[in-house]
Amino acid sequence: MELGLYLHFPFCIAKCPYCDFNSYQLEKDNQVSSYISALHREISAYSPKLKKSNISTIYMGGGTPTILSGVQIYNIVEFCKDKFNIDKNAEITIEANPGTLDAEKIKLLIESGINRLSLGAQSFNNLLLKKLGRIHNTKDIIDSYYLARERGFSNINLDIMFALPDQTIEDFKVTLKKAVSLKSDHLSLYNLTIHPETAYYRKYKKGQLQLPNEDEEFNMYRWAINFLEEKGFEHYEIANFARPHKRSMHNLIYWQNQPYLGIGAGAYSFLKGYRYINFKDPVKYIQEVMNGKLPIDQGEKLSLKKRMIETIILGLRTKDGVSYKKFLKRFKVDMNSIFYQQINKLINLRLLLKDDYKIKLTRKGIFLANIVFREFID
Amino acid sequence: MLKDYHCNIENIRNFSIIAHIDHGKSTIADRLLEYTGTISEREKRNQILDDMDIEREKGITIKSKAVRLYYHSKDGNEYILNLIDTPGHVDFSYEVSRSLAACEGALLIVDASQGVQAQTIANINLAIKSHLKIIPVINKIDLTTANPERVIKELQNISEIKEEEIILASAKEGIGTSNILEAIVNKIPPPEGSSSRPLRALIFDSVYNSYKGTIVYVRVVDGVITPGMIIQTMSNNLKYEVMEIGIFRPKMQPIKKLTAGDVGYIIAGFKNITDTQVGDTITDASNPSRESLPGYKKVTPLVFCSIYPVDNQEYENLKTALEKLKLNDSSLFSEAETSEALGFGFRCGFLGLLHMEIIQERLEREYDINLIATTPSVMYLVTKKNGDTIRISNPSSFPAKNEIENIKEPYVKVNIITPSKCIGGIMDLVQERRGSFKNMEYIDENIIRLDYDLPLNEIILDFYDKLKSISSGYASLDYELIGYQPSELAKVDILVNHQLVDALSFVVHKDKAYRLARKIVEKLKEIIPRQMYEVPLQATIEGKIIARETIKALKKDVLAKCYGGDITRKRKLLEKQKAGKKRMKKIGKVEIPQAAFLGILKID
Repeated sequence: MELGLYLHFPFCIAKCPYCDFNSYQLEKDNQVSSYISALHREISAYSPKLKKSNISTIYMGGGTPTILSGVQIYNIVEFCKDKFNIDKNAEITIEANPGTLDAEKIKLLIESGINRLSLGAQSFNNLLLKKLGRIHNTKDIIDSYYLARERGFSNINLDIMFALPDQTIEDFKVTLKKAVSLKSDHLSLYNLTIHPETAYYRKYKKGQLQLPNEDEEFNMYRWAINFLEEKGFEHYEIANFARPHKRSMHNLIYWQNQPYLGIGAGAYSFLKGYRYINFKDPVKYIQEVMNGKLPIDQGEKLSLKKRMIETIILGLRTKDGVSYKKFLKRFKVDMNSIFYQQINKLINLRLLLKDDYKIKLTRKGIFLANIVFREFID
Repeated sequence: MLKDYHCNIENIRNFSIIAHIDHGKSTIADRLLEYTGTISEREKRNQILDDMDIEREKGITIKSKAVRLYYHSKDGNEYILNLIDTPGHVDFSYEVSRSLAACEGALLIVDASQGVQAQTIANINLAIKSHLKIIPVINKIDLTTANPERVIKELQNISEIKEEEIILASAKEGIGTSNILEAIVNKIPPPEGSSSRPLRALIFDSVYNSYKGTIVYVRVVDGVITPGMIIQTMSNNLKYEVMEIGIFRPKMQPIKKLTAGDVGYIIAGFKNITDTQVGDTITDASNPSRESLPGYKKVTPLVFCSIYPVDNQEYENLKTALEKLKLNDSSLFSEAETSEALGFGFRCGFLGLLHMEIIQERLEREYDINLIATTPSVMYLVTKKNGDTIRISNPSSFPAKNEIENIKEPYVKVNIITPSKCIGGIMDLVQERRGSFKNMEYIDENIIRLDYDLPLNEIILDFYDKLKSISSGYASLDYELIGYQPSELAKVDILVNHQLVDALSFVVHKDKAYRLARKIVEKLKEIIPRQMYEVPLQATIEGKIIARETIKALKKDVLAKCYGGDITRKRKLLEKQKAGKKRMKKIGKVEIPQAAFLGILKID
């Protein structure tokens, strides 16, 4: 079995006010070392179970994984290699925030075998970065980026956000042009979403956030797609753009609804039709692992129908869409025979395209993907 | 063990409790039940007699209830006290008048800090009309804001009530309970009537119970009723065999006979509730009485709206649910209708807005039906050019303008009691609602009573809320229908995506049509979510567009990111959104949320 491996690092130097990820402001350094010990134990626990599996990608996400020292990161990757069968050419990604990288750390990352860097740039406008509560400025992004390039990273992603408070489309264009001028290999483009239980949400409710309206948001997104395609990026997933051969292999596992193992607090796993999540609270997570248990909080066995629906919803996020052949192979049933009505309706609405091999979103469907997804949902 | 004895008619007292809403009627009832041992310590809870969820949540009484108390008076005798609890809200005053007809006396409860309110006066008038002995009780004297002296003065200013008759009480603290009980025994006359005369029992309420069928609540005026007897309803001469009779303690408790003066229930295999009209007289089929008791005026609904199931397949469920509700609520009116926009549904008539709201809520909660309710309307009298006069409660069935000779709308006499300092704001409000001033009277130096005539249409929407906000909650309101007057009215139609949505049509005074139409389309623009294409909204009178707005096309609806386990959350979010869409009504290609049909209600 081919697997993706995800490792979660729930610590940040500061918690951003919009962020609803499982991350916490780091209070004491010993938190990190006990967390790392727990990661090791969880990895060890899975090791015998996954003897027959190959790991084709590793993704270290957060939080801020690079809040760890170079050596700590190096050791974790080494430990994974020791405990799992990792493909020789595995894509190994680490997320980093500008300002948490230095030459020494980058050197160790490269030596550990990490071959892809995802930088949380978010914007090239210092004012907006400040509003977002980021600890870095534009110069930090550029410095970290070039440092990583010089020290050997040949595959770098930049995360960029849009539809930010008070952001105009002109602001956004400047940011995106700057990102492209750095010649990054990959860009992830997210519009700001206001999540409940975040500081932004409370501000938003009080009317203190001036967010771009739907039309402005649409214009930013549309402009970005056109601009990036013009610049040689492939819009291969709703929010993701890659130079040729630089798609994120790890994320493609998610979008193809393939199995993955998640290690760490709040990490999700999808194995043998089960999707489950570890305890989110790092303290609880560490406790469970140290008591010799798998730190699983809750999970669900997905019904066949749910797995089909998810396969379609996730697959439709990608440029490749959902292949009839793969669907048939996986579920032993023809996609048309089950979703004929939905597919036809969406084709009539010009949201979906169908050919002999696959279904995929139309250009319009990309902007209105939720309408398509809801159609397939039960 | 509960006693079940009969006593002389001289030792029976039948009484109601009447009060403005929130003046503590249900709490007084609770205390009387406790004091007389009608409920045990274990059964104690608030609002004992209110058993509908909705009554407990809103803290109001909707249905009348009866309960028998046994009381050992200070004079050494045992008495049967039949308490009939009544609703306090203006919408339900007909329930009150019905219950009063079964009594000889009434406790009039007045809040010691709020004093006399509109409903207080209305209740006193009702009680006097029914020739009841009034026992005035000033409640909540424990409150720091209580001012019983002021309230006593107010009561004397508005009625013949004497100071020495007034009982000071705090139901919360249990103060005054025994005084109240003694006053009931000593001041309220025993029922007149005789057990030896032929049976005459007044039906003052009826409820439907899925196990026992229709249960009628009666006050026996003359004669005796026992199980096995054949009885007859005097209005339609239908005969039934009595299966069970009983009293309320407060649960139904079967007994062997009910005699003149008693209050209780009868179960007699009544087929449907319409056979046992409230206000009808029950008599002995083998020895019928010649004369029936004075009945009630049939209640006429004042407020109308259409109710449709969101899902057309739920029509049958809705029909059944309405029938069941009508069994327990003779004031609810409904008849089948069809709407081009909404399909099959019902035009329903209610006593007022609260009544409407409660019925809608019960349909949704107790019967689990997703509803669309349209903006409430009143009944219009339309005289056509050909001389016909028709009654129209649904704006969508208004004839074309060129067929109409004239239109009359219902007017009500409104009685407002308010602190005098709010008078300016209230006058502005009433003026804006086309009201005409009739009278003003000081109840004391700070409280005044205002009388106006107003079109009912102007008060059914948000008049009460406005009144409350102008007076910081102090003003109270009571109204009664006084008749129909000619009016310059216009019917406004709403087109969504060029399609007339009949359920959105409304009738309004022509001077206000333009402004209201403008507000409605603006509101609809807010409420109706963007669709995949542009949706024009238009308001028209006789085909002429008087307002328009455009809902822009939905351009972007896409979840930004989705990785790993996120799919679980995303799927659940999409499932929730999809469920939300299912609650919307599809008209043409446009999905319209339920709230849109109540558009007018939401406008300031």
